[in-house]
Amino acid sequence: MINIKLNVNGKDYDLEIEEDLRLIDLLRDRLGFTGTKEGCGEGECGACTVILEGKTVNSCLLLAIQAHGKEITTIEGIGKEDDLHPIQESFLENGAVQCGYCIPGMVLSAKALLDKNKNPTRKDIREAISGNLCRCTGYEKIVDSIEKASKILQQRGSESHEQL
Amino acid sequence: MKKRGKGIAVSFYGTGYGNGFPDVSTATIRLEDEGKISISVGATEVGQGAKTVLSQIGSEVLGIEIEDIVLINEDTSKTPDSGTAAASRQTYNTGNAVKIAMESFRKKLFEESKELLGLNTSIGLETKNKEVYLKMFPQKKTTFKEIAQKLKKQKRRLEATESFTAQTTEMDPETGQGAPYWPYTFNCYGVEVEVDTETGKVDIIRALCAQDVGRAMNPTMIEGQIDGGFAMGAGYALFEDLGLKEGRIKNNKFSKYIIPTALDLPEIEKFIIEDPESTGPFGAKGIGEPVMIPVAPAILNAIYNAVGVRILELPATPEKILQAIKSYGKV
Ligand code: FES
Ligand code: FES
Repeated sequence: MINIKLNVNGKDYDLEIEEDLRLIDLLRDRLGFTGTKEGCGEGECGACTVILEGKTVNSCLLLAIQAHGKEITTIEGIGKEDDLHPIQESFLENGAVQCGYCIPGMVLSAKALLDKNKNPTRKDIREAISGNLCRCTGYEKIVDSIEKASKILQQRGSESHEQL
Repeated sequence: MKKRGKGIAVSFYGTGYGNGFPDVSTATIRLEDEGKISISVGATEVGQGAKTVLSQIGSEVLGIEIEDIVLINEDTSKTPDSGTAAASRQTYNTGNAVKIAMESFRKKLFEESKELLGLNTSIGLETKNKEVYLKMFPQKKTTFKEIAQKLKKQKRRLEATESFTAQTTEMDPETGQGAPYWPYTFNCYGVEVEVDTETGKVDIIRALCAQDVGRAMNPTMIEGQIDGGFAMGAGYALFEDLGLKEGRIKNNKFSKYIIPTALDLPEIEKFIIEDPESTGPFGAKGIGEPVMIPVAPAILNAIYNAVGVRILELPATPEKILQAIKSYGKV
């Protein structure tokens, strides 16, 4: 057993864990963040995507100890059911969700992209979600949704700027 | 060298179980305590949008908002059988069952309203915004909630259950004659590809998909189905290979079984063709499987148009294309 400290969705945790515990199992089984999905368990599908220190990672490929001292965002940290993030709202409004299994990972990849690149091209968006497999949607409405969310976020950004 | 080519394919597809097999969906409609309307159907939602479309059909009949519908599905202890979420049949079959059950529920609702309003007949009653009113004298009205409260006091329930069975006949095994499916869905897809004659790699650079839907209940979801079908068809044509060897699947993980990523697909131009089907709920037909079918032939035709080779075994991998180009291609 080993002690780790980490911050998930803005909250600090101090935990004792097995050395070989994967990050995904820590998040899902120990901390209850079951929005993080396991698809392949080998770094191919992106269903388990979380944001670690601003970058997307496959939580099935990391050991929990690798997150020691770091900040993690899961889908639960993006928005709540009655207070959705613009990316989530945009996914809902534009029909981007079919079975939904890939969606938490897609939203986190989108978030990581839009945090860095406020005005991405459709090519940039496709690139950013190319590590997230989706069997249902053909990606098109997901790309549409991320593009529309970027416009909404930009508009909100400039509005809050005007208020200052 | 990169060579471009265009290809088209058309398909028609009979939805439902077909060939005279009983294809039945049942729906139960009930007035709930607060005046909400529940629809119980054993239709499974797997992301295709059955829940949305069935609620839409139900709300359309009663002129209420989709929020006023409580859809109960996927619970066999509570729902009648509505068949499988397969054969592209839920919108057409279960959609019809919901529509018919809702119409018979509306009749019962009008009978209750007649009593409650002290009318001689239910003729001329209409419903809108969870109210039942007399068209020639709209002040004469009651609400779903009032009716529900009255029924609750009398310990009665207002509900209607109806079934829909699709019409097909078995094919004659000798002559092949019969009407094995109804309805059929039609489509036509066109693609443009770019084939790299040195590596054999195929890029799909343009896709146009025209899909007959009968009547578009929910255009956004139809587009989503077309996008998804195109992606599945493209994977089938170019990448996906189970690698079955002696009954075992060789490519049993995503590192070997390759499905398209967002970078492997072009922007998909979609054309929804509406030609209402007279036996469909509000004219709608199913498109779940049809949207996949013309993709592979259109891609293979485009490859032929680009480099003159006919790929006869899927997937059309770079190796197969390169070999065909070397032996007889025109580049
Ligand atoms: S579960 Fe981690 S990449 Fe598939
Ligand atoms: S919505 Fe089903 S896998 Fe993406």
